[in-house]
Amino acid sequence: MKISKKIIDNLKKGGVDFYLSVPCKLLANMIDILENDKDIYYSAVPREEEGMGICAGAYLGNKFPCIMMQNTGIGNSVNAIVSLLQLYQIPVVFLISYRGTPGEPVGAQGGMAKITEDILQTLRIPMLHCSSEKDLDKISTFSKHAKVVESPVAILCDFNLMKDDT
Amino acid sequence: MNRFDLLNKIQNILKDNLVICNIGLPSQELYKINDQPNFFYMLGSMGLSSSIGLGLALSQNKHVISIDGDGSVLMNMNTLATIGNRAPSNYTLLIIDNGSYGSTGDQRTFTDENTSLKDVAIGSGCKKVIECSGEETVNELSKAIDDKDNSYVIISKINPGNVKIDPIPLNPITIRDRFRKFIGIVKYL
Repeated sequence: MKISKKIIDNLKKGGVDFYLSVPCKLLANMIDILENDKDIYYSAVPREEEGMGICAGAYLGNKFPCIMMQNTGIGNSVNAIVSLLQLYQIPVVFLISYRGTPGEPVGAQGGMAKITEDILQTLRIPMLHCSSEKDLDKISTFSKHAKVVESPVAILCDFNLMKDDT
Repeated sequence: MNRFDLLNKIQNILKDNLVICNIGLPSQELYKINDQPNFFYMLGSMGLSSSIGLGLALSQNKHVISIDGDGSVLMNMNTLATIGNRAPSNYTLLIIDNGSYGSTGDQRTFTDENTSLKDVAIGSGCKKVIECSGEETVNELSKAIDDKDNSYVIISKINPGNVKIDPIPLNPITIRDRFRKFIGIVKYL
């Protein structure tokens, strides 16, 4: 719970006040925290691409949105990222559980893990890769950066960082 | 009645509300009829008009109308489940259902065969679902906006057919900023 709490605290410190998630077991603690937080908006959403649309609308309405998802969700969302978020320069924080990184028990997650950073790089999305607890301190500044450059940004949280956060 | 006729008929209702308009011909026709700063024209991301409108309705108090199409809703069908569970009362989804992919050459969609978006919306948990003719749409849309306790999904059954039209010349950032200025967020324009 300590890691999850620190991530949410830093996102809130960065100004994020609108949260969506497509679930992942590594995000479960964060979802619990958000469901009980009355200061922000939180909802589950069935699919990441749809979530990109909701986040765009939330920004038009003066919220600062974050969508939490597995890295597989980036694959589901490429056109929405390029033809909506980037076209209209809409800042959104992607909080990504980086499945398929070392420690991952499910072999099939390895495929998307191998290409996740390449996809984000191709999309020119700034990345913050969190592999240890001290990396989490950078989240609030990095989130603010999304608003300054009017762009989506991606925070990748390694499997081993999240797996023992019970 | 086709989409262009319907968009003409609903102008008076649109003018006081925030409008998210579907990509392609719907936005181009709306722009040609009566360009306004409270119209957010989609230039990409087919399928997401309903979702953008939902996020907007959840984030501020003005009434939001998402103008969508049958082909686009079929592309992002999970949106109806999210609307059925989360849409606030300042949200109306207007699906202009002409049974046709108008922007790509009027290929038939599945709503012209076996699929009923009304049934899908009801099954998804949307409480107020209206299916009506193009002529009835003005009245149904007014009632939906006047009802301060419920969100609505209105499926307007019209004929296919498009008006020959040019792409929207506006820059996306112009569309974004003048829209946010209308809401009262952007002060510098």
